[in-house]
Parts: sequence; C-alpha cells; structure tokens
Amino acid sequence: MLKFTGVKKQFGSNVILQDISFEIEEGKFYTILGPSGSGKTTILRLIAGFEFPDGGTIAFDGQTINQVPANKRQVNTVFQDYALFPHLNVFDNVAFALRLQRVNKQEITARVNEALNLVHLADFADRELDELSGGQKQRVAIARAIVNRPKILLLDEALSALDHKLRKEMQTELRQLQRRLGITFIFVTHDQEEALAMSDHIMIINNGLIEQSGTPVDIYDEPLNHFVADFIGESNIIPATMVEDYAVEIDGRQFSCLDGGFEPDEAVEVVLRPEDLDITSVAKGMLTATVESQLFRGVDYQIVVRDTEGHEWTINSIHKTVVGKQIGITFDPEDIHVMRFNESQTDFDARLATYQEGGAHEQE
Amino acid sequence: MSKNKHLVFTLPYILWLALFVTAPLVLIFYQSFLNINGHLTWDNYRDYIHSATYLQMTFNSVWYALVITVITLVVAYPVAYVIAQLRSKDFWLALIILPTWINLLLKTYAFIGLLGQHGSINNFLRFIGVGSHQLLFTNAAFVWVAAYIELPFMVLPIFNAITAIPTSLINASLDLGASRWQTLTKVIFPLSKSGVAAGIQAVFIPSLSLFMITRLIGGNRVITLGTAIEEHFLTTQNWGMGSTIGVVLVLAMLIVMVLTDDNNKKGGA
Amino acid sequence: MPQKRFSIGRIYLALVLIVMYLPIFYLIYYSFSSGERMDGFHHFSWVHYQALFQDTRMISIVLNTLVLALLSALLATVVGTAGALMINGIHNRLWRRNILILNNILLVSPDVIIGASFLIFFTFLGFKLGFWSVLFSHVAFSIPIVVLMVLPRVKELPKSLKDAAYDLGATRWQAFSQVTIPGITDGIMAGFFMALTYSLDDFAVTFFVTGNGFSTLSVEIYSRARQGIDLEINALSTIMFLVSLILVYIYYRFSTKKGAKRRLNQ
Repeated sequence: MLKFTGVKKQFGSNVILQDISFEIEEGKFYTILGPSGSGKTTILRLIAGFEFPDGGTIAFDGQTINQVPANKRQVNTVFQDYALFPHLNVFDNVAFALRLQRVNKQEITARVNEALNLVHLADFADRELDELSGGQKQRVAIARAIVNRPKILLLDEALSALDHKLRKEMQTELRQLQRRLGITFIFVTHDQEEALAMSDHIMIINNGLIEQSGTPVDIYDEPLNHFVADFIGESNIIPATMVEDYAVEIDGRQFSCLDGGFEPDEAVEVVLRPEDLDITSVAKGMLTATVESQLFRGVDYQIVVRDTEGHEWTINSIHKTVVGKQIGITFDPEDIHVMRFNESQTDFDARLATYQEGGAHEQE
Repeated sequence: MSKNKHLVFTLPYILWLALFVTAPLVLIFYQSFLNINGHLTWDNYRDYIHSATYLQMTFNSVWYALVITVITLVVAYPVAYVIAQLRSKDFWLALIILPTWINLLLKTYAFIGLLGQHGSINNFLRFIGVGSHQLLFTNAAFVWVAAYIELPFMVLPIFNAITAIPTSLINASLDLGASRWQTLTKVIFPLSKSGVAAGIQAVFIPSLSLFMITRLIGGNRVITLGTAIEEHFLTTQNWGMGSTIGVVLVLAMLIVMVLTDDNNKKGGA
Repeated sequence: MPQKRFSIGRIYLALVLIVMYLPIFYLIYYSFSSGERMDGFHHFSWVHYQALFQDTRMISIVLNTLVLALLSALLATVVGTAGALMINGIHNRLWRRNILILNNILLVSPDVIIGASFLIFFTFLGFKLGFWSVLFSHVAFSIPIVVLMVLPRVKELPKSLKDAAYDLGATRWQAFSQVTIPGITDGIMAGFFMALTYSLDDFAVTFFVTGNGFSTLSVEIYSRARQGIDLEINALSTIMFLVSLILVYIYYRFSTKKGAKRRLNQ
C-alpha cells in the first residue's frame, strides 16, 4: 500500500535518512524503532507529508506522492505532544477535520461520538482540555486522528508522555483498536519493549538506515547484528569463532549450535539472552565464572558474572546466588544465536535458506 | 506563490520598520545639522557645547531624572516586595497599575488643584499652623508629580523579577540559617536586579524628556531637555537646534540602556 | 517576628496606595462641588456634568479620541501580529535580534523624540498635519508593544499544532485562521488593549503632530489646564475613571482566566 524506495532526506549538510526502502501492507501494526536521532520521526513526517524526500520515491497505492502536502494525504497522525487545539473542547477537536470538509452536522455528531466511543471517552465530548488527564488527552488525540478514517494512522512516540502503568494499558488498547479498525498503524518509538509487545512488524532504524526488519519474534531471536542484539532486549554479545557449521568456539571451548552456512574458522559474535542462561556448579558448568553483582528485580535476580576469559555475562535467574562465588554457566544449543559481521538482511535470509531444512528453526 | 502571500501579509510591518522607525531617526539626525535657513552646518552642535544654558539644562535634566528614578526605586521596591508576599498578589498589583490607565493629563491636572495656593495641601498646612507655601511651580513639585506618575512603571518589573524567583531558593536560604532580612539582602536583592534595571530604564528615560509636567507643575520654564525640544519645535520653530538637543537626548538614552543592560547581564548570569 | 514585619509591610502598602489614589479621588470629589475651584467643597451638584454634556467641543473631542484609539489599536494589532509572526519565522538569530532591536526603538524612545521626529517626517513628506498624521503616529508607536505581547504566545504555540491542522486536511489559510490565530488570541487581545491605552494616554506625540484642526482629549486638557482650574475637567475625570475601571475589569477577567488555565495546563 505504501512503499519507500531509496528515500533520502537531509537538513543542510546533516544527512538524516541515507537510504530507506520498505513496504507497508494494509491492516497491520508496524513499529519503527530506533534510538533518538536515528531518523525514525523523519520517516513518519515523510509519510505524513510534513517533509518531502530529497531522493527516492514514496508511493501510495502505486502513485508517487513525494510532493503531496499533508492536507492532501489519507494519513493522520497522533502527535507526541498530542497537539490538541487548546481553544477547542474535546468534541470540537475531534470534529476539526470533518468541519473542514463541510460534513453535515448530524454526521459530524455521529462520527465524533463513534470515535470517542472507540477510545472510551463517550462522556467527555463537552469537556475542556484542561479538565483532562494526560491519558485522556492521548485518547482525544487518537479519536481526532481516526475520525477521518485514514488509510494509515501514524503515532509519533505517542505513549512516551504517559506513566508506566497507563502506558501498558494504552499498549493493549491501541492493539485492540488497530484490530477493530483494520487500518494500518505505524508507530514510532524508542522503547523496544513497547515495540515487541504491540507490533506485527518492526523496523529498526539507526543512523538513517534500516538495521533489521521483521516480526518481533524474528528480531528478538535472530538479531542481525550487534546493534540490533544490543538494542532489543537484554543480551550477552560475546566474540567467538565458527569452527564449522553447527559448531562454535566460545572462550576456547567448543559448543554445538544450530547455525550454519559459515566459512571454516570464521570470526563471529554470538548472542545469548540472559534468561536462557542457567547457573549451576562449577563442575557441571560449561563455562566458569565469578559472581560480581546481584540485583533483585521482583520477578527475578539479575546477576552479573565474569568468566575466566574476562567476558562479562548477564544472567536472569529466579534463584539467588552469592556475590564473589565461583559458579558454572550452562545453556542449550538453541540458545546460541550466531551473527556474522556486516551481513545484510538479504544475505542473512539467503544463508538461512541454505541450511534451514536441516535445522530446528521455525520461520513464521 | 505562497511566498507572495506571505509578503503581502508582512509588508505593512516592514514598511513600518522603514518609514516610522528608521526614517524619522535618520531625519532628526539630518535635521540636527541644518540651521534655521536650512543650510548644512555644525553650528547647532557648536552652539550647544558653548552655551552655558544648554549645558546647565542637560545637567538639570539628568539630575532631575536621577532624583525621580531614585525616589521611585526607593518607594517601589518595598511595594513590589510586599505585594509579592501577599496571597492575592494579582489584585494588589492591579490596584497599583490601575492609575496608569487614567490619562496622564488628568493626574497632572489633579496636582494643580492639590498643590495650588488655595489647594488642599496648603489648607492642611494652614490648619496645622505651618502657613501656606508656594508649592505649585516649584522644582520639588515637578519631581514629586513625576515620581508619582512613574511609580507603577518601577513597581511592575521589580514585582515580576521577585515573583520569578523560585520559592525553593528562598526556602533553601532560610533552611541554611539565613534570617528573613538576610534572605532579602543576600538572595532576593541580587536575583531581582534585572527587574530593577528594567524599572530604571522604564523611569529614567521618560523622565529625561518630560515636558508636559514641567510646563504644568514646574512652572512655565524651560528647565529640561524635553521642554527645550518642545520650545524649539513648536514655539521658536528652530527645528535644527531642537533636533540637536534631540540627538543629545537619544545619546543619553542609549547610555542608560547600555549601562542597565550590563547590569542586567550580571544579574542574570 | 515575620508576622510583625508583614503588617508593617501592609501598612506601607496601604499608605502608598492612599497617596496614589488621593489625587484621583480628589478630582472626583470636586467634580460634584458647585464651586468653580478645587478648594472648599461648596455643595453637591451635577452642574459640571451638565456643563460637560453641553460642551459640544469637548464631546466631539472625546469621540475623536475614542475613534482614534480604537482605529489605531486595531491597525496596530493587525500589523503587529503579522510582525510577531514574521519575527518568529526568522531562523537566523542575528537577523531576529536586529529586527527585535529595531522593533523596540519606538518603545524606549522618549515621546518627545518620537513626536519631534514624526513631525519632521510628515513635514518632509509634505503630509498635512491633522487626523491622519495623528492616526499614523498612534499606529506607529503602538505596533512594538503589540509585537511584544504577541511574540511570546507565538513562541509558546507548539509547532505540532500547525502540523496537526495540515494533517487533518487544513489548507495554509485554514491552519492560520483556525489554529494559529485562536492559539495566540490572548496575546493579540492583550496587545490590542495595550495599544488602546497607549493611544488614549498619549499626549506628547499627538501634541507634536496634530496641527490646528484636530485635537485629542489629552491635548485639550493640557490647553485648558494651562488656563487654570475648570471643574468640567473634574467631571470628565470621574467618567473616565469609571470607564477605565470597566476596561481594567474586562481586561483582567480575560487575562487571568486564560492565565489560570495556562497554569493548570503546565
């Protein structure tokens, strides 16, 4: 439905987007995830029509829309600061777009109320903005954006101003809302947890490039590179050597794994998620390490250990240990994810195909 | 296309900057070099520098403006401070500002009645046995009325500066063992300097050029630069000399602004 | 201790206020005296008010003054608002600073200088002194205060509001008229009121550029006051004081309501 091909954007000499290509399908929940300054908001503003690309094309339903201004696009935005019009009450804010289109009064009332219903603010139509809480303002902003029945709804860091609990609630609600409306949501955030929880598809942006794009499970389980592995979830990223396919050497010891398609003795990085690691006795351990610190986090303990080679490992465990103790670390072959240096997404997919039939991996 | 619309929209403002801000200033500067016959000359400046009357008048102007400024400052600071402590400060501030909404001429006119030979103040003085005095048309009366009129313009910026000081700073000062007086002198004074500077600007500059109050209250004498300019422009029709004095006045104003602006920066830094 | 200091402060404030209001109430008091001077209240009478309402010259001057004030405030508000929006749009810091300095020149200039330089300006152009020269002068010296009242509001207005308007389908003009202008209305209103007071209060500039045919209240009071006491002026003061009170009431109701809302929002 929406397609970016080689899109570039720069402000003065400052290159924001180097080369962005992707395609958005109808009816899905997309998240653009990246650290601040990565260019993710610029992508959103290009889709909305607040900015125009300096190179490449943006196409909507097959038509190039590079220079189409925001007011002519079937796209609506929920702004980070909500951008509600302070001189209008809730109803008038939501009715703004419809009034511009000179929709008749009854229809305006019906559609505004419908939109307010969808965001659970049915009784708030006559309220002034000052009488609303942050969460309620957020809902008004969403209602205002969906009342126009856009093809795509853009959400710019939409939940970042809310407190933790409210944010969790809104995540669930947004997801439900998207399913009910069946329109495409494109959500921009720097919060990886939020991205994993809500999306059908995540695009990770860094330095104006897409680092990886895929389902939350794919991205979590098979990060393409160091940046993604580090950015998504907690992870231990350790340098290693691929002795041969399905055998990796970490800290001088060889372990079996499920990854293949490498050169013999290729230098790689392995990713092991903290929740996949277990603590055991030194005798039973696959690696030996010393406990350096331990934090109780409610659901589990976060334990930081240092192995004999000096690598730091983070382990999440429900069992506590003692700082300074020597312990053993164990993990299973499927817990190891091997990352090749400088591998593009296409190359990764191709390599995956060569050995996948034999492996235990499941692609959605 | 939209650029053009933009220009149409802002054109009046740009025209204003050109015609009513820049042009008159350039013209008054040019005029100051014209003698009464319209010839370019340095005469006006030479006369000004060599004339004891003009120099005396300049000194008087600055002196009166200074006195007026000091009086308003001394009266206004405590007023601003007290109001800043009150619960309904907006109301009290409004009471202070309200007189500025009343025509300047009417307030001045009131003093003609109050200070007159048979005015209430003289009646009061006679009543307590001091006897009547010539109050109107004295320099003291001029200073008093000018200070009266300028007072709100001194209170307002000081009040704003004081209320802009975060309460936490005052609490911190008290918490660290300072008394209320120490807090006032060591925390509030230094932090409200910018307001004082703004107040001085707002009072001193107009005080330099007052001519209406000088005429009505100070007696029909030419004692300040303002009266001299008015005299030259509207009575003797010597615009060149009037403009020269005007240029001197502008210079004096610039000096004050530079001085108070410097204060401002130190206070703010 | 603090309690005591506080009450000294209040007494002081009360004293200052008494001194500030004394002249005003003095004027009002004598406007009801049947005498001819402001000494010794004779007996209560409306005679000066009757004289005032029969003084057609004075009434036409009052009307002139009001028309002048409204017209000049209106024009200054339009031009000044456009100026504030323009200044806000300047991204180059140096330019912005310089324009602001230019803007503020008339605000800090002594009114005698403004009056004298405008007089030279109009004479230079061969412009006839009278209503129009006074109107232009009032518009000119009111513009900078409008700019200063509107500019902070424009700055405060989140950029996203305009984006939101475009996003919802508004054209540039619709975004401007339905979002930007309502968003800065209280600044515009404050600017309008300030321009109104500047115009009503001005004496010096008008005195310079008014010529013979046209007079405003300030100029008229000046020329009458130079001839001595006239209790008709007292009657006029009373009426003007009441009008000021009403204006101030409207202004404060308006601005504090908005101010309170703003504070709540933050």
